[in-house]
Amino acid sequence: MVRKRIIPVLLLNEGGLYKTVEFKKASYVGDPINTVKIFNEKEVDELVILDFQASKQGRGIDFAKITEIAGEAFMPMAYGGGIKTFEDAKKVIDAGFEKVVLNSILFSEPLLARKIADVYGEQSVIGAMDVKKNLFGKYGVYSHSGTVKTGETPVEWAKKLAELGAGEIVVNSIDKDGTWSGYDEGLIRQVSSAVGVPVIACGGAGSLEDLKKGIQAGASAVAAGSLFIYQKKGMGVLISFPSTLRV
Amino acid sequence: MIAIINYGLGNLTSILNMFRRIGADAVITSDPAEIAAADKLLLPGVGHFKTGMETLRSSGLVDVLEKEVFEKKKPILGICLGAQLMTKHSEEGDVAGLGWVDARTRKFDASRLSELKIPHMAWSDVSFVDSNPLWTDLPADPRFYHVHSYHFDFEDSADVSATARYGYDFVTAFHRGNIYGTQFHPEKSHKFGMKVLENFAKL
Amino acid sequence: MAENYRQCAVSVMDTISDPDIRFDEKGICNYYYEYKEAERTKVKTGEEGRQTLREIAETIKKKGQGKPYDCIIGLSGGVDSTYVAWIVKDLGLRPLAVHFDNGWNSELAVMNIHNIVSKLDIDLFTYVINWDEFKDLQLSYLKASVVDIEAITDHAILAVLYRLAADKGIQYMISGTNVQTENTLPKSWIFSKSDHINIKSIHKKYGSVKLKTFPFMDAKVKRYYQQVKGITSVSVLNYVDYNKQQVKEFIQSELAWRDYGGKHYESVWTRFYQGYILPTKFNIDKRKAHLSDLIFGEQISKEEALAELARPIYDPQQQKTDFEFVLKKFGMTEAEFAAIMAIPARSHYDFDYEKPIDKRYPILKPVKWLYRLLFPVKSR
Repeated sequence: MVRKRIIPVLLLNEGGLYKTVEFKKASYVGDPINTVKIFNEKEVDELVILDFQASKQGRGIDFAKITEIAGEAFMPMAYGGGIKTFEDAKKVIDAGFEKVVLNSILFSEPLLARKIADVYGEQSVIGAMDVKKNLFGKYGVYSHSGTVKTGETPVEWAKKLAELGAGEIVVNSIDKDGTWSGYDEGLIRQVSSAVGVPVIACGGAGSLEDLKKGIQAGASAVAAGSLFIYQKKGMGVLISFPSTLRV
Repeated sequence: MIAIINYGLGNLTSILNMFRRIGADAVITSDPAEIAAADKLLLPGVGHFKTGMETLRSSGLVDVLEKEVFEKKKPILGICLGAQLMTKHSEEGDVAGLGWVDARTRKFDASRLSELKIPHMAWSDVSFVDSNPLWTDLPADPRFYHVHSYHFDFEDSADVSATARYGYDFVTAFHRGNIYGTQFHPEKSHKFGMKVLENFAKL
Repeated sequence: MAENYRQCAVSVMDTISDPDIRFDEKGICNYYYEYKEAERTKVKTGEEGRQTLREIAETIKKKGQGKPYDCIIGLSGGVDSTYVAWIVKDLGLRPLAVHFDNGWNSELAVMNIHNIVSKLDIDLFTYVINWDEFKDLQLSYLKASVVDIEAITDHAILAVLYRLAADKGIQYMISGTNVQTENTLPKSWIFSKSDHINIKSIHKKYGSVKLKTFPFMDAKVKRYYQQVKGITSVSVLNYVDYNKQQVKEFIQSELAWRDYGGKHYESVWTRFYQGYILPTKFNIDKRKAHLSDLIFGEQISKEEALAELARPIYDPQQQKTDFEFVLKKFGMTEAEFAAIMAIPARSHYDFDYEKPIDKRYPILKPVKWLYRLLFPVKSR
């Protein structure tokens, strides 16, 4: 049996951690250094840190802060948010991260993924996509924290990401974000069956059952934010992490 | 003092962080003098085999390393690509390696993986084949983080120290005298990896 | 140091860093008598205690009818608050649990809280303090070189509990303070937890980040909550046979509670504060107070207490790791921290502070007993 990876996703903004619902209503969750320390002690499989407003606000990367954060983790770490150049990626990796997450930048600089993959390997590049349904129920890929319509469909963009050099793809459902209502399994299924690289499901997981369903829908790994940060839906902040998921 | 060899590739910071946390003296260096002065060596690496070999050769450190490893018999631990570079050859780039161990590096055989994807990116259980000092007192149910598309291929099993399974059993660690190599990343494997590095530091 | 050193005949309280200790002709210190008096007036054990608890529970249930919660409890992951949670549920009450996250939680504390709220099925509210503000407050206190740095956290916890209780219409705060393990505490080791003026004046002098969200409780607000909203605090642990060792074993088996080796060591900061800052800078070993209470309550012998005190207050490897973490959290170098440690200790009274409520408003003098019940002059 292969252990499927379970990955907490933490949203960073100006030095603090936040959690959103449908990419809106960000609530303060706490100090990233202590939070990562706790997840490390819980021996999580992997951790993703996203500076989720960086591209939208045109901000640079807080290298000092992410270096401190990486120092608390003895498991694989991925960072995304505002990576624009190869130098940015190099600095992020030198800070102690194994992987970089590229999202909005790939729409304007598609060759960036390959530049990084050529040096650090494809497994060091995660292509991330945020997906929303339109009024007719059709999926569309959005960039810049869900504010810019790109015109791509998830399947087309996933294939492009894999071609561009992404070793993994994380598919995030904006509609399901922070809702505790389960992954968008249809979306996960579509994307996983379209590409040969591992797909990470994200957005909406509200229980361990949901995580299992994400794997059954074809994801190679499952990610969640609210599930690991709040004690229960509607309840207070309390970091938790389930023991290994075997499917 | 453990010298973490900086030839341009690898999770140097993470490795240093873990040594620091366990209280072992370690330094990231590309200075031949520092390498010669160290008691133990660590060869990290992440990325493409061909790039790795080229970078290592152009760093000018190969001669120094071979002297330390073969003449002075200093313990050296290779991690991931670092360990792969110690083999004779890799299919990734069809390039010769250092040849320090009698093995080749081959791509995962997709035909034997069924729906499992490449790269193997997961926390995998590891089975220990010999009583390598690095495995002393490991916490129960050891698992280690693997991320690779290529794996060691040993014809002779004498140097095989541990195996893992991804579609099929493959070699994930080797041991030959003072030369150690792991496919997995101890610096990213929590308390399991910490114990391995601790054991290495105590050699 | 040796000159004039005296230790209590029955306990381990002594003259080190305690200008207020007194000894009688038998060599027994004042804390012994204070403990016995508190035990006499506040503690009820056995069947009498159980009966008292039942009566209190009935009152709380009645007052809380029709509301989502009838009482509020604080949860830190420590022994006291964990046991309180169990007792409250056992009495059939419907508590809202509040956890206060100041950015220093240990994984152990978080795990303990998780187990408590899941196994006992309790709703949890967490107040997460803005780290930038809290860090600035802690640094201000470090630079001010005053003894009770924990006053900031304790003050905020009180403020949050009061506000939340008032917000949800909850009239009873079930507290984990207790005579049997924490009655003794030299006055010079702590400062008033409810004094917002002291916090603000220290911050004004040494802080730089504006405090926009930090929860303050000023006297007016407190009075409003107490009198108008009618919030009462109940120390349930004073109505049980609170044997620390037995309670620990009990919550370990019932709630999978994990021990972290020291009182309040569930917070990395508190561990460092009590294990390093207090002993090194102020020459205070808080274990003496706690252990003396256990002696007074006949839970341990003086020999056992002395043996415990002989052990290092802090595991050296843990201290090293914690120290590096503290430096990282504060963004300080070792040299900067050493400079702060070298500043001579100052008194909280060197800064502005709140005058006692009955001195400012003599009309409230009769209420002073309630005030003392709610805000006992000791730390948690």
